[in-house]
Amino acid sequence: MTRITIDQLSKRFDKQTVLQGLSLVIEEGSFFTLLGPSGCGKTTLLRCIAGFNVPDAGRILFDGDAVTSVPAYERNIGMVFQDYALFPDKTVFDNVAYGLRARKRPAEELRQRTEEALAQVGLQALAARFPAQLSGGQRQRVALARAMVIKPRVLLMDEPLSNLDAKLRLAMRDMILELQRATRITTVFVTHDQEEALALSDQIAVMQEGRVAQQGTPQALYATPQWAYVADFIGSANLLPVTVAAPGRVALAGLQLDVDTGSLAAGSSGQLVLRPEALRLKSGGAQGAGGNTLGARVLSRQYLGAKTSYRVALDAGPELRVEDTGAAAHAVGEAVQLGVDTASRVVAA
Amino acid sequence: MRALARWLAWPWGLLTLLCLLVLAVFVVLPIGVLTLNSLKGADGGYSLAGFAKVLATPEYLQAIINTVLLASAVTTCTVALGVPLAYVVARHDFPLKRWLAVLPVATIVIPEVIVGQSWLMVLGNNGLVSNFLRDLGLPVPSFYGWTGLIFSMTLVYYTYIYLGVLAALRGFDGQLEEASLSLGATPAATRWRVLLPTLAPAVLVNALVVFTLVVGNFALSSMLGGQVPLLSVQTYSLFVSEVGGDPVLQSSLSVISIILVATALLVQKWAVERRQVHMTPGRAPAAQALRSWQGGVFTVGVTALVALSLMPLVAVFVGAFTEARGPVMHWGKASLRSMERALSLEPEPIFNSLFFAATATVVGTALAVLVSYLIVKKKSRLSPLLDAAVVVPLTISGTVLGIALVQSFNTGPLVLTGTAFIMVLVYVVRRLPFGVRNASSMLYNIPTSIEEASISLGVTPLRTFVQVVLPVMKGAIFSAAILMWATSISELSASVVVYSAGLETMPIAIFRQVDTGRLGLASAYGAALVTLILVPVLVLPKLLRINLFSLK
Repeated sequence: MTRITIDQLSKRFDKQTVLQGLSLVIEEGSFFTLLGPSGCGKTTLLRCIAGFNVPDAGRILFDGDAVTSVPAYERNIGMVFQDYALFPDKTVFDNVAYGLRARKRPAEELRQRTEEALAQVGLQALAARFPAQLSGGQRQRVALARAMVIKPRVLLMDEPLSNLDAKLRLAMRDMILELQRATRITTVFVTHDQEEALALSDQIAVMQEGRVAQQGTPQALYATPQWAYVADFIGSANLLPVTVAAPGRVALAGLQLDVDTGSLAAGSSGQLVLRPEALRLKSGGAQGAGGNTLGARVLSRQYLGAKTSYRVALDAGPELRVEDTGAAAHAVGEAVQLGVDTASRVVAA
Repeated sequence: MRALARWLAWPWGLLTLLCLLVLAVFVVLPIGVLTLNSLKGADGGYSLAGFAKVLATPEYLQAIINTVLLASAVTTCTVALGVPLAYVVARHDFPLKRWLAVLPVATIVIPEVIVGQSWLMVLGNNGLVSNFLRDLGLPVPSFYGWTGLIFSMTLVYYTYIYLGVLAALRGFDGQLEEASLSLGATPAATRWRVLLPTLAPAVLVNALVVFTLVVGNFALSSMLGGQVPLLSVQTYSLFVSEVGGDPVLQSSLSVISIILVATALLVQKWAVERRQVHMTPGRAPAAQALRSWQGGVFTVGVTALVALSLMPLVAVFVGAFTEARGPVMHWGKASLRSMERALSLEPEPIFNSLFFAATATVVGTALAVLVSYLIVKKKSRLSPLLDAAVVVPLTISGTVLGIALVQSFNTGPLVLTGTAFIMVLVYVVRRLPFGVRNASSMLYNIPTSIEEASISLGVTPLRTFVQVVLPVMKGAIFSAAILMWATSISELSASVVVYSAGLETMPIAIFRQVDTGRLGLASAYGAALVTLILVPVLVLPKLLRINLFSLK
């Protein structure tokens, strides 16, 4: 178990700055996710931790050891790649045993540990196959077993699920989570899929342009985003520009709403985060009928089975998306009231 | 210790530098020496006197003009033959179509010196067919000169057009044609307006390859050229007649040849970059069976083409076992004398060829794999330089390379003439661009992540290259090695310039025996040479389950 400390890390490629003095602490044994859109620097950071990219400035520590200038092959890491990166000329067994052979483990131990690792991912029966004879999900499991069998100090995963179809992705998610909880190997997981991040992580760092925008538990990021960017990236959100009228109260197109204004001072402007699933939809009523509501009109409706998704236009102008699990269907053109939760957050733009 | 650790983590910079150094000494430096020599004036200063003399001598001027004319004529003929053939093969089924599979092997792998000798034995002044026609009382036009040159070179080089266009046709998305037809264009208009424009780049690129090959051609030019002066032959004669003398004239002719080839290659590069068509991969239309009479026409045509392409093989083997007195072959009269002489009395060329070609295969393949790995996978600031240096040999014909190496390494700090090293060197240098190109196309298909996976599991980069990359490239490496072997052992134009007593190889022996009119002995060496080429080319791919031409 290893605690990873990233200290003031910077990295440029040619003229593009990819990491800008980024600092992070990844607690030992935790499942830590770097989340962000492509180009935010998350893969570069992961490759710096792995040793494939050399940072221009800053330090990386595994526990107390500075590993910044230690080559990748001496860092004792396990890495799972997006394209699996299995050795095509080697069998499943030889792929998994590769790292143990590099460590010159005795034959008996090597066989035993390899078989154990294969059993953990349910692939004992396919040990003699070649990668080309496996399905995508099976390949990913081989890659996982290969990275885990060496008992690495840290496990690094670069979008490992993005090449799998939706169903397999769920199954692999369970397997990864189970293995990580069982072994407690410090794991750094890179993804652009917020659902994956929420489902797997102990901690998430939402990255933006080479910096960490906000770090926290999945619950904290979802419930109390500090920035519009984070609110938009974690879950989906309607963002409404508002002005803070007083602590706990905002003004929006002549209306006043009771919401959580956090630490924003009166008079400052911000964005009101309204989660589609947190808005309550009621029929009828006039504009500003009280009870923390907004008047709106239904623009379109999509029936999705468990819920119904609406696009509505506020009387004040902006359009919002609302997800309603209620039985009542609202017709296109109908005037409705949107109930706003007083716990809704206002964030700095 | 720290230096060692750094080298282990990133050994590629130093290796790139080493490769660059090798190429600088053995490729760039000789061309520089050659160019400087061409600019030497009588008083020791620099002048253009050499070039002025070339242009003022009618024979040399004519040779330059002839070379361009010949290259244009052969290129036109190969396009006229190769494009329709590729279209018919890609789109139609007809009896005996599978015979065409032997064409690439037959024409690319048979040494030109043997092609030249065979046509000479069949259609030359004393040739089998010529004599037969003469006995019938028919007038026999001379085969030497333009007829023989264009005829034999077309038969050797059309394969380049055929293979290139065939590959383009197979990558062509048939839905484009269907789209055109659905929009109301007739099939003929569709071929003209949709198919042809997308094939044009492939035709142009390969036509320019043929152009450069004709300019650099030595064996056929010198054996069948007759009274037609050509650049490569004139350059060679000048070299042979004035070794040790004033090298200005031969250098000037060589530089003109380089300029010709380099111009063609620049046009090619421009064409590739400008006319590149990005085809979304689609399904190529299935081949259609041809109706009876058309099928018959194609079958006859293809059979004739295969027969003509394979004729040199037959001729050289029959010739090897035929009674021969000087240039007179007693066709129909079997004899083992020539074979006996080649194999037991004068076997030195065979042993030399085996030794040089084997060494060149090992060294050349290793260098090609390393260089392409450095260019494709380990990019650094030096990579573009290496990338450029590797293609330089394409601009130099064999004759010119030979002259440049002799001028550079005859005296001075590094004397290589007269050593086996220089023979191996010309083989390696001439084949390097092709070897690197093939290995690179393979490397682009190997994801970098498998190397990183290995490194992350605790294996150093160098050992990763050996344990992970090389095994994956095995097939490509064997293909490259087999082609390296086949082309090295048949190399004539450069080795005939740099060789000296005791270093004679089979192609050189054949060339010299033909020159002195001993066709029987030449055939015997030819038979041995062809056997040593065909056995690995035909047998090894089957044994190793690789496809020699898939990487072309």
